[in-house]
Amino acid sequence: MRPLDPAIKTVWMIKLALGWGMLFFAVLIYDVFQLFDQDRWLPFGVMSGLVLLIGGTLTLVLPRLRYRFWRFDLRPEELYLERGIWNRVRTIVPLRRIQHLDVSQDVLERNFGLGRLIVHTAGTRSSDVVLPGLRYEEAERLRDEVKHYITEDAV
Amino acid sequence: MEALEGSVGPVETLTPYGQRLHPLTLVQRVVKSLPALFFILFFRSSDTENWITLAFLLLYGVFALPMIILQYMRFQYWITPREVVIHSGVLTRRKRNIPLDRIQNIVIERSLLPRLLGTAKVKIETAGSKTTEGVLEYVSLDEAQRIREIVRSYQRQRATAAPATLEAPAEHSPAAVEAMAQVLFTMTLPRILLSGVFRFSMLYIALIFSGLQTVMDPLNLTPEQIAEWLRGDGLLPFTDAAQSSPWLLGIFTVFAAMLLGWLTGIMINLTKYYGFRLWLEGDKLHRRHGLLTVSEGTIPLKKVQSLILRSNPLMRRFGWYRLELQTMGYDVEKQGYQVAVPFAKKDEILELASHIRPFALPETFAPVSKITIRRTFIRYSMTLLVVLVPLAYYWQPALWGLLTLPLLLYLAFLQYRNHGYALHDDILYIRRGVFQHYVWVVPVDKFQVFYTAGSFFQRRLGLRSLVIDTAGAGSFRFPQVVDVGAETAEAFIETLYGRFQSHFAPTAP
Repeated sequence: MRPLDPAIKTVWMIKLALGWGMLFFAVLIYDVFQLFDQDRWLPFGVMSGLVLLIGGTLTLVLPRLRYRFWRFDLRPEELYLERGIWNRVRTIVPLRRIQHLDVSQDVLERNFGLGRLIVHTAGTRSSDVVLPGLRYEEAERLRDEVKHYITEDAV
Repeated sequence: MEALEGSVGPVETLTPYGQRLHPLTLVQRVVKSLPALFFILFFRSSDTENWITLAFLLLYGVFALPMIILQYMRFQYWITPREVVIHSGVLTRRKRNIPLDRIQNIVIERSLLPRLLGTAKVKIETAGSKTTEGVLEYVSLDEAQRIREIVRSYQRQRATAAPATLEAPAEHSPAAVEAMAQVLFTMTLPRILLSGVFRFSMLYIALIFSGLQTVMDPLNLTPEQIAEWLRGDGLLPFTDAAQSSPWLLGIFTVFAAMLLGWLTGIMINLTKYYGFRLWLEGDKLHRRHGLLTVSEGTIPLKKVQSLILRSNPLMRRFGWYRLELQTMGYDVEKQGYQVAVPFAKKDEILELASHIRPFALPETFAPVSKITIRRTFIRYSMTLLVVLVPLAYYWQPALWGLLTLPLLLYLAFLQYRNHGYALHDDILYIRRGVFQHYVWVVPVDKFQVFYTAGSFFQRRLGLRSLVIDTAGAGSFRFPQVVDVGAETAEAFIETLYGRFQSHFAPTAP
């Protein structure tokens, strides 16, 4: 069983921080507009402070937890994945069921040299199984390794 | 037509002029556009200036009608020995090539007007896309059947020629094809009516009640007034009784609603399944049914992913079931579930299924953990509280709703009793549901991806859920086993995966 590349924690953290940051600014603007309102129902800074606190905590904690519970393994006949903080899911993707494979990378991931392997099957809920947080070369290597198992009639 | 006669060569060129749609298409398109025109003419508000109506009429005459003609003129199609080519579009030209071997299904659809005019709509469905790839709207019925025959004979030819060379094209006369066809299931009229009786759906009742509401509210009608209005000679004693006792009236309306629900069910099933016929031709299932709109469909046997036996408590009480096939690739309208047998006894279905995918329902199902009763009950109670508590804030008597709690407990128990799983002869059976009872029959060789999952609460209670993903499964209703003991779950998924592996092992036949 292999863990993901630790750099993915930073990527997740930045993504969460961006999302919560945006929410924080929206709330902050609301707070500022309410500043001179006579009958505002909360003192200034409570809402934005709360958002900052929750967002900050989640940004610091979630990526670490998510990383801790992510495990994967490429075995001779299947790809095995284990993940989830709240709902812990184990997935067995038989290699012969794979229809096609993608390696993708967004801007953030590129800066950290990371990539993700996306495995497409004919199954409804597993039409794309994503394995994030791999070194880009590693993702490509995995793809090339798995590629040989793709059979013509996966259905 | 010329393109048809061309031999199968490496290069094929299209004849400069393809086939056109049936000329009566024009009539049908105009008829279809008429409602919009009527709307313009009759449903304008009284203060609309006349010139606006005139402008709309002008728009219709200058644009809509010529558009219909142009569309007709610009639509051409070719059926070549290898593909269907469709050129269409007035402003945006579309050229579409559909290779014959990608075609999975040719649906011939005839609603009322086309049937009067002797035309049909041909839908070409392929494996690749989830929507209909090409539509010929409309062609003559003969042409529709000719197109389907071309595609079918091409596919038969490929199937027979696959091992040998192409030199012997398997020529099938229509009679030979008929002989090859094996009728699996037909529905007699009494059977269809009976099936409608069992189509007892709360939805219709809800619809009728909401319908009553919308009529009664704006007219300021009270039930008494309706009773007054209903007072006829024959109904007199009854309405009197109803007036003196509102409870009786309530019961009467409930019965009336149920009766209406049943009647609607019967009507729906009659129009939908009239003349239902399921037959097997080679390795393809064909289905034809319908009263006003006759629809026809094909299901290749190898595309069948799993079989589903559906029923409700009433149907099960009398031993009736409905067989659906979960297929891969097309017809998303029904979430990939196709009704193969709308209404039949269990034995009939088992007999018939032996031609599709033989299976025998196991005698016993392994139950899930009993803790699931508690979990389900808590879930139901939470939902009830979420509804009741805000309601009670405004309207105290709503708290009486809490009396339904024992009922919910019983429902949770029923959920548990109806839930189970079994692995038998390389087929996984999962049953689930109270009001809508499902038995999934999933052959091992159709498994796609294996999941076990445990939420926070499930893990604290030592439980897991299992999901076996298959191609074409619905997003809401899919085979899953909820709340099995953790060790049992892990062991069972290992067993399932083991069976899956040994099925595809090189030593296996």
